[in-house]
Amino acid sequence: MKFNLDPIRDLWHSVGFRLAFYCGFLMTITLVTTVTIVYVQTIGVLHKGVIAHIASIDQTMVERFAAGGAQAVKAEIERALADTHQSEASVFYYVDAEGNRLAGNLDAPLKSLNHMHGAERTVVVRDGANVECYVSFTTLPDGSRLLVGNDFRDLKEIDSLVTHGIGSASWVAIVLVIGGLFIFQQELNQSIEAIRRTLTRVAAGQIQQRIPAVESKDEIALLGIEINKMLDRVESLMNGVRHVSDTIAHNLRTPLTRIQLRLQSIASGPQSDPAQKKQIEAAVTDMEDLITVFEKLLQIAETEAGARRMGFQPVVINTVVDEVLDFYETVATRQDARLVLNAPTPVTLLGDGDLLASAIANLVDNGLKYSGAGATIAVTIGVAADMLVLTIADSGPGIPADKREKLGTRFFRLHPDIPGHGLGVASVAAVCALHGGRLRFDDANPGLVVRMEFPVHRHMDRS
Amino acid sequence: MDDATGDGLRCLIVEDDADNARFIAEELQRLGYSTEICGDGKAALAATASSRWDIVILDRMLPGDVDGLAVLSQLRALGKKTPVLVLSALSAIDERVRGLKAGGDDYLGKPFALQELTARVEALVRRSELETKPSMLKIANLTLDLVARKVERAGQVINLQPREFKLLTFFMMNPDRVLTRTMLLEAVWDYRFDPRTNVIDVHVSRLRTKIEAADGPPLIYTERGIGYRMSANGPPERP
Repeated sequence: MKFNLDPIRDLWHSVGFRLAFYCGFLMTITLVTTVTIVYVQTIGVLHKGVIAHIASIDQTMVERFAAGGAQAVKAEIERALADTHQSEASVFYYVDAEGNRLAGNLDAPLKSLNHMHGAERTVVVRDGANVECYVSFTTLPDGSRLLVGNDFRDLKEIDSLVTHGIGSASWVAIVLVIGGLFIFQQELNQSIEAIRRTLTRVAAGQIQQRIPAVESKDEIALLGIEINKMLDRVESLMNGVRHVSDTIAHNLRTPLTRIQLRLQSIASGPQSDPAQKKQIEAAVTDMEDLITVFEKLLQIAETEAGARRMGFQPVVINTVVDEVLDFYETVATRQDARLVLNAPTPVTLLGDGDLLASAIANLVDNGLKYSGAGATIAVTIGVAADMLVLTIADSGPGIPADKREKLGTRFFRLHPDIPGHGLGVASVAAVCALHGGRLRFDDANPGLVVRMEFPVHRHMDRS
Repeated sequence: MDDATGDGLRCLIVEDDADNARFIAEELQRLGYSTEICGDGKAALAATASSRWDIVILDRMLPGDVDGLAVLSQLRALGKKTPVLVLSALSAIDERVRGLKAGGDDYLGKPFALQELTARVEALVRRSELETKPSMLKIANLTLDLVARKVERAGQVINLQPREFKLLTFFMMNPDRVLTRTMLLEAVWDYRFDPRTNVIDVHVSRLRTKIEAADGPPLIYTERGIGYRMSANGPPERP
């Protein structure tokens, strides 16, 4: 039989719970130690008191013997036993030198009266019952022997009172400890949860989110204040980067526009020399090519800078893939290729639909381009361990392992003879990274399989 | 591209770069437009307030206190419905959305090809001419019923996929206008990226095969290096 230990493991992963647990553990040890010390001390004092009491009676008896001999001792014992209160707890046994019983309330003499030193704990028989008691044994000058003792009756009563007291107090303490720990854990979790929630939103692109201010000035509140300061700084830096890239883009785009328009204006105007016209048209084409590279590089840089995360929306990836495949269906049909989709359940992702579509289109396009006629491009969408896994496999010649590593590097071109700029896969990689995802290339035996993994946000909390 | 379709339509060009403004103006004049250039936002506000324009080409970034978006907001606040094409040299991020939200009808990022600009200007002018969306479109013997979603040529029904229908609708809404690949991509697929292979060409070619399989002359013509044009009047004359 297998038990599901996940809830316990989850609980143990909570810092709040662990701190509370350690704290409770320490408190319990402290409590146990304190109670033990109190108990030992209290009961120890009581026992010492009994022993001192016995010693004092013993002393009285020795004095009585000095004053009036064995008769006086006997009278004193009988007087003590006549006193109801004292007689109940007291133990006396007095024998003459020959061992004849003179007085006392014990049934039988004890086995080892001769070997006693001071007060000792032992069991005697009184009124037919075994009684636990402290006894002290004295041999008087005439050879008579006297045993004075006190049973445990009072001690046991007090012992039980103390034990009960400690027991009740411990129960109250345990309840308070557990309750306190629960509140402690809740309090800690709440403060940390507020920070975690905010940071999740920030990571999802809502850079303007801040940790709510709280009244208290505890460590967590101070941590929150510092994190907010850091977020202010990150936001201002991001805006700065954005401003710089805007300025660069603006300052390059304006002259590029001018050159392009000038060339086009000449190209569309009246041309006498056909050779010159051809040159100008070539310049226009080169210009367009340059602009394409410039735009793509800028787009990759902007994607990598992450500014676009601010516009993230829930995107159903299946719809995006469906539309891209629909878009490429005609191209596939034309080259007798097949586009196959295996996406059993819809998966939602927080992201930029346009960028995701362009990345997927890029990969499908590559698959069709490099796999040739009769190829199959298989796309799958699935979820594994909170990750959205999107694979695009083609049936083409594939890519050797050493070259696969270079895929995604800017300007790396696998087939320099095929027109292109070597920026497509780099932009796919940038889109992947923007969405907190991973991009991997594997051998599909035969062909290439591109695997994209994105974290799926279980709680699409965007409030 | 030499046919004058502007027919004296008035175009206001708001652009601070004098050279660029001149190139745009010359090209539009060649198409029969009468043009005026404003170098900053204040002049643009004055120009839009004092006279009526058929189209405004508005640069997003202008010198001075009044930038392109402010001009646009002001224009819309005054209730003017003049079609506006927003030009921008800023990064593509959000710019398009921001431009369209402020009341722009179309958006073009710099640098652009002149033909892309003129194609968009012509489509915008044409769109504002159509006050209400018709339910039936007709070019030569090809009819498209937007309500019944039915296409017929010479009485013969043509079966189209949903995207093909959308593509044909866009063509038929803009007869005798050059439609660039980017315009088709935006209008029919709502894509903002530029697919490397000419996927659009394949789509148009398939649509062509379907509508030309039925009786009649070709209707969709290729504009070399730019895009396509649908016309009942045959191919455009080449100089």
